[in-house]
Amino acid sequence: MALAVDVVKRSGKRPTESFDADKLLRSILSACLSVRSPEGEAEDTAKNVTQAVVVWVDRKPAVTSHDIRRLASVHLQRFQPEAAYIYEHHKSII
Amino acid sequence: MGNFDIISSFAIILLAALTHASFQLSVSVLTLLSGHALGRNTAHMRLLRLTGGFIMGAGVMTVLLVSLVAYVLQAALPSTTPPIIWAAYAGGVGGVGVSVWLFYYRDEPGTSLWIPRNFASYLAGRSKATKNATETFGLGLTSIIGELLFAFAPIAISALVLIRLSPEFQLLGILLYAAVSLLPLLIVGLLIGGGHKLSNIQRWRETNKRFLQVAAGSGLLILGAFVYVQQVLVTGVAAMGGQ
Repeated sequence: MALAVDVVKRSGKRPTESFDADKLLRSILSACLSVRSPEGEAEDTAKNVTQAVVVWVDRKPAVTSHDIRRLASVHLQRFQPEAAYIYEHHKSII
Repeated sequence: MGNFDIISSFAIILLAALTHASFQLSVSVLTLLSGHALGRNTAHMRLLRLTGGFIMGAGVMTVLLVSLVAYVLQAALPSTTPPIIWAAYAGGVGGVGVSVWLFYYRDEPGTSLWIPRNFASYLAGRSKATKNATETFGLGLTSIIGELLFAFAPIAISALVLIRLSPEFQLLGILLYAAVSLLPLLIVGLLIGGGHKLSNIQRWRETNKRFLQVAAGSGLLILGAFVYVQQVLVTGVAAMGGQ
């Protein structure tokens, strides 16, 4: 599901793209599964977090990918702190 | 070669391998690789094959690098290594130790390493795209090469020690080096295979990163000092005493 909201990428090198809720859902689901969360629980968490981000993004003309990640992380922290840790840090592992 | 020489040679190889073991690029790639595999809901046996392939690749590359450097040194150096070569190696190892102290981790949250960002992005991308054991084997090979900037020092000093040993001890030395330097990968592989949460492993790594940095840098400095004292000073004094 793509909303008519532009996402400005973090480095600014890549072009902006439309906000894709499914992409966000997949990344949160992946973070939950990577900390061995049961599949059903991971899917519920991913849906809830994605929904919260969609509500925040809606009606904004543009957001940064950093803001989306930060907000998703805040919501994910409420449901699964271990998954939130991996979600926040996976870009700084290497 | 006397017993003392053999023992001290293996002590140098062991310390060099322990220092190599505290380098973190391969562990980082393995952590990321496992995270992506678990995130795709990969079956447990497949996960074990992926991590096993990676560790095997890292092991093979370590053995190849130590053997290659030893072969080149054996071909290039006279049968008795001149003290100036030992002194140069000791200085080089100490210098890398200081640079590990200063630069190893980036000054930011997480466990980002001081390697070119393009290469780090490449490894991160490959760890996500890799889906079978053959590819993870290749990734294991590459991750060892990626850390050569720092790992070359312990590899080179071990190779310099190895060429003084008899062939059977050379083989033993290479295997000892590879086994010890792979210990962190084996431990992380076992933890992941045993069902431990990736977040706990990464959190431990982040919490202890400065300790590992200091340990690696100090290990190299001690190694350089030990080699200098044993191979340059003691040998020089012994040679003067014999005249």
